[in-house]
Amino acid sequence: MTASSAAVPSGTGRRLLRHLNPGPYGWQTTAATVLALLVALALSSALIAITGGSPAASVQALFQGSMADWTAWTSTLLYMAPLLLVAVGACVSARSGLFNIGQEGQVLIGALAAAWVGLRLAITGPVLLVVMLAAAALAAGAWAGLSSLMYRLRGVNVVVSTMLMTFVAQQVVAYAVNMPWLLQESRVGNAPVSPQSNPLPPSGLLGSFGEYPDLQINGGLILAVVAAVLVAVAITRTPWGFRLTMLGRNPLAAKHAGVRVNALGGAALAISGALAGLAGAVLLASPVGVNRLQPGIAMNIGWDGLLVALVARNRPLAAMPVALLFGVLRSGGGFLAATGVPSFLVDVVKALLVLAFVAPPVVVALVRRRRSSDRTAGSRREATPVAEEAIA
Amino acid sequence: MTDDERARELTPPSAPALRLRGISKRYGPVVASDNVDLDVHHGEIHGLLGENGAGKSTLMKILLGLVQRDSGTIMRGETPVDVHNPQAAVALGIGMVHQHFSLIDALTVWENVILGDTGKIDRAAACRQVEEVSRRYGLPIDPTARVDRLSAGERQRVELIKCLRRDPSVLILDEPTSVLTQAESAELFTVLRHVVRAENRAVILISHKLAEITAATDRVTVLRKGKVVFHSETSATTPPELARQMVGRDVSLRAEGAALGMLPVDGAPAPADPGTGTGTDAAAPGTAPALRLRDLTVTIDGVAVLSDLSLDVAPGEIVGLYGVEGNGQSTLGDLLSGLVLPTSGTVELAGRPVELDRPGALHRAGLGIIPEDRHSSGVVLDMSVAENLVMKSIGDVSGRGFISRRRMHAIARRLAAEFNIVTPSMDTPVRSLSGGNQQRVVLARELSAGPGVLIAAQPTHGLDVGAIEDMYQRLRDAASGGVAVLLISTELEEVMALASRIAVISSGRITGVLSTGEATAERLGMLVGGVAA
Repeated sequence: MTASSAAVPSGTGRRLLRHLNPGPYGWQTTAATVLALLVALALSSALIAITGGSPAASVQALFQGSMADWTAWTSTLLYMAPLLLVAVGACVSARSGLFNIGQEGQVLIGALAAAWVGLRLAITGPVLLVVMLAAAALAAGAWAGLSSLMYRLRGVNVVVSTMLMTFVAQQVVAYAVNMPWLLQESRVGNAPVSPQSNPLPPSGLLGSFGEYPDLQINGGLILAVVAAVLVAVAITRTPWGFRLTMLGRNPLAAKHAGVRVNALGGAALAISGALAGLAGAVLLASPVGVNRLQPGIAMNIGWDGLLVALVARNRPLAAMPVALLFGVLRSGGGFLAATGVPSFLVDVVKALLVLAFVAPPVVVALVRRRRSSDRTAGSRREATPVAEEAIA
Repeated sequence: MTDDERARELTPPSAPALRLRGISKRYGPVVASDNVDLDVHHGEIHGLLGENGAGKSTLMKILLGLVQRDSGTIMRGETPVDVHNPQAAVALGIGMVHQHFSLIDALTVWENVILGDTGKIDRAAACRQVEEVSRRYGLPIDPTARVDRLSAGERQRVELIKCLRRDPSVLILDEPTSVLTQAESAELFTVLRHVVRAENRAVILISHKLAEITAATDRVTVLRKGKVVFHSETSATTPPELARQMVGRDVSLRAEGAALGMLPVDGAPAPADPGTGTGTDAAAPGTAPALRLRDLTVTIDGVAVLSDLSLDVAPGEIVGLYGVEGNGQSTLGDLLSGLVLPTSGTVELAGRPVELDRPGALHRAGLGIIPEDRHSSGVVLDMSVAENLVMKSIGDVSGRGFISRRRMHAIARRLAAEFNIVTPSMDTPVRSLSGGNQQRVVLARELSAGPGVLIAAQPTHGLDVGAIEDMYQRLRDAASGGVAVLLISTELEEVMALASRIAVISSGRITGVLSTGEATAERLGMLVGGVAA
């Protein structure tokens, strides 16, 4: 991927976020990023030390839980799959200039659709899994499409509507798992029923390659990697991706060049929702959870996936290693909590890392711009006003 | 303050409210203001007439403290004053309503009115003041309405209230009627009459509309190229005289110079019927026009930005659409870019009407366009030179669903060589190119599609001399290759240098079509001023 293929989210932050592209100042950005990472690590260690933990032991625990053996790796990769799917979707919408931040809700809707198909439709054999995934993608794509519809009909800001729809999605899922006629688990004897669905039938589960205790590669990860590669190719090598990029960078020029602005933007939003929906289906059907629909099934994967895309600067291929890193933090984070470090500190560490990755390009670009405007201010003020304002 | 007190405070009507002596301002080699003398009296409306670039705005910016003069004196009554910043201008009682409103859409009327005040915000008092000012001047407005819900006329009322509540003794209005309907304009002039007659204030009315100047002003000053070229009591002059003064006596000379650059094109029709001086024009007999605009009307917020605009351009012909900025040219450009749909009317290319609501229809029908603001719709700054060059024909460099980078670069290299685009590489973002080279990218892309019609909207805006020459040559070459060129420009020199026919636009209408030969200062001036010549 070249520098020019990174995307620009839109809306209020369009101009600022443009600086998230790796600019022509590669080495400065790299140096600043390394520096920022060191600062983030130092701050994290200090926080752990202050709260009574041992930084060294924490790193040890993080490693143990995520990479120390094949079991740990398996768990890391199980988290990586949905994170990557969400991130790849975020890349598509951001590239079109629409900033979808409602992935958490789209993940839930995807999981809900997959659960309903898996538990309520009498489909048997491997077809069930295919139908479940398709239903998840369709439902979540349509869910995200609602935001695009709201924008077109009433001019509702996409950032706001996608985010608020997340809370609606949470209520919808909570309702579904509390209603026996919908998805709530069946009563067995006199045992109390919980707000969750029945477990999926075996034919609705995503299988893995490899056996415990060896490394297991779940079908979900393969799905996610394939999606990342496909999207990467589509947005950098096809006319469709070219139009998408044009739309994100300059909607007016895109319209002028004959792009169906509304249709393309709506499609981008729906695709990003569909990929988040697939992540929901993977969360439901892979061994990362309990294979039941529960209100908390999304586990903030939607929000974290958005961060993955942010750190990867909306490049689907770059999202792969970043999703892996976030998978490491998730699986290691669970382990870390066992050593007495409060688990919310893992979130703080994650936030610091995101800042370390995201801030340097912005800062470098701002500093460069200030310097260059200082330098050229004198000469430019002599030359340009003639054309721009002087004799209007 | 009562009216009596105010009257006492103002200097007696004999002494001018504002006296400018020898005001000069230059920007590099360009003299924007050249030794300007101007007296503005209490109790009168003073018209300031001039084309784009005549120096009206610079002069007003100096008065408002937005621009510092190089030399000259500003006097209030008999005392020289220094206007070094806008606050000083306010303190001196100079207020201005700009052509482009400086209101914040998301705020209410009263919020906009007190914007910039210091101290505690008193909503009730602010609303009371707005109501009081609006009652006094007959400018009905709801102080609690949000500005984005207001019509252009109502917004102007807000701007006026903003100015008038500071009790200015000199009120400046820059092209105040450009966004108003006829009725709204009439209302505005009634208010201005009241302001000068009953309250003895001075008003400077900047305009290029002759009818407005003759109907509404007491005295008129004409600026051309930064100089005062004419000054008179309005009642002692005539619209033809004003028109001639505004455009200049040397227009025929310019036409002769332009004739040298004009091209007799083999096989192309002669410029259509030179006798046409009316709103519609007929193409040369026997030739179908390449571009035919028919009765185009665009209405925005109840104001007809374009009304019944009709124009033909024949193959091989350059037609200049000339007029003062803000008379509908940008809307026409947007319409021909596919960004705005007409309320009524048609665009025909090579005899076939174009379905304007289909994306890219104009491009497919063979219309190329150099848009007025290349950054907003001409190029995508963050995409590469190569990508910008193939932007409209991305399907042509793709095979089996994939873009061929090799083919894209081959095309880009060929176009860059052909059009002298200076760029470090084809992958360089267009953002880092100079303005002239960005404009060449647009031109190369538009001409490479082999258009039958080329629209050039302000094609040399912001370019240096070399780039301008190059652009002129390219446009001439395009025309001699049989392309119908419509040049939309506010620069008379440019139009005279390139076009064989000049259509003049004023308030969204074509007020007349002249051949360059018959374009006299008086006729152009009258047409630009909205009076049929």
